[in-house]
Amino acid sequence: MGNCLKAQSADDISLLRGSETQDGNDQALGPPPPYQERVAPRAPIYYPSPNVSRPANLLTEDEQVKIAKRLGLIVHLPCGVYDGCSKKGKECAICMCDFVMGESLRFLPCMHTYHKDCIDDWLMRSFTCPSCMEPVDAALLTSYETS
Amino acid sequence: MTSMEKRLQKELQALTKDPPAGVIVNTESVSQNMSEWIVDLYGAPGSLYDGEKFQLSFKFSPRYPFDSPQVMFIGPNIPVHPHVYSNGHICLSILTDDWSPALSVTSVCLSIVSMLSSCQEKKRPPDNAIYVKTCSKNPKKTRWFYHDDTV
Repeated sequence: MGNCLKAQSADDISLLRGSETQDGNDQALGPPPPYQERVAPRAPIYYPSPNVSRPANLLTEDEQVKIAKRLGLIVHLPCGVYDGCSKKGKECAICMCDFVMGESLRFLPCMHTYHKDCIDDWLMRSFTCPSCMEPVDAALLTSYETS
Repeated sequence: MTSMEKRLQKELQALTKDPPAGVIVNTESVSQNMSEWIVDLYGAPGSLYDGEKFQLSFKFSPRYPFDSPQVMFIGPNIPVHPHVYSNGHICLSILTDDWSPALSVTSVCLSIVSMLSSCQEKKRPPDNAIYVKTCSKNPKKTRWFYHDDTV
């Protein structure tokens, strides 16, 4: 099986996508970087389960599938910006900070709300809601079936 | 301040301001970077541990709250309980497999108090002798099998 979680390298396709990803555009206009012997890029660390951390290149095949699924599913969870509306809750149970107007939030199918960065970090370790322990993928599927 | 320190700072504040019954954090024990705490725990009134005082040690990794804290009993009085080994290690699923970042020092302490309170007979785990001889110093390294939901 191909390594779908390969570490980003210089010829990564994402560099072709243009301005959406980074604001380092002005850098791209400068002179080309000096030639460098390519050193093995530092592989990003993934967490197949909360207490197991592994660089991407050491993941087992099962773990790669697990992580790839999580990456794919997270994208389908609705996001939003905190507008001061209290029915979405007002504190993130992960960092225990109050939501501040304009912060990015993510809404889980079980109706629990977290900072986007906080919950995405957790979902990459375990696909469950930290507050109710509901498996998020099951709930995501039911929400598709009913709507 | 790292996100781990920030969150622990909040927890410490809440726990010192509004501590649940029988849980007292030893603020002097809290290390500079917040990564080690000692919490005093008192057996609940009416339980087999009524009037006993215990000490819990908490160690947090920089990845807390995504990583569970390392929690064990320390000091002269280790509760005699079917889920507590004589070296202080605790067999409690929320400390490893069932950890969630929405849990906290307070909720862990309350779980342990309630685990003690529901005990019917003071005795050590059946495999205490062999476990204590062979285990790692870090209880998180133990492959726990959670089988007993009664206590």
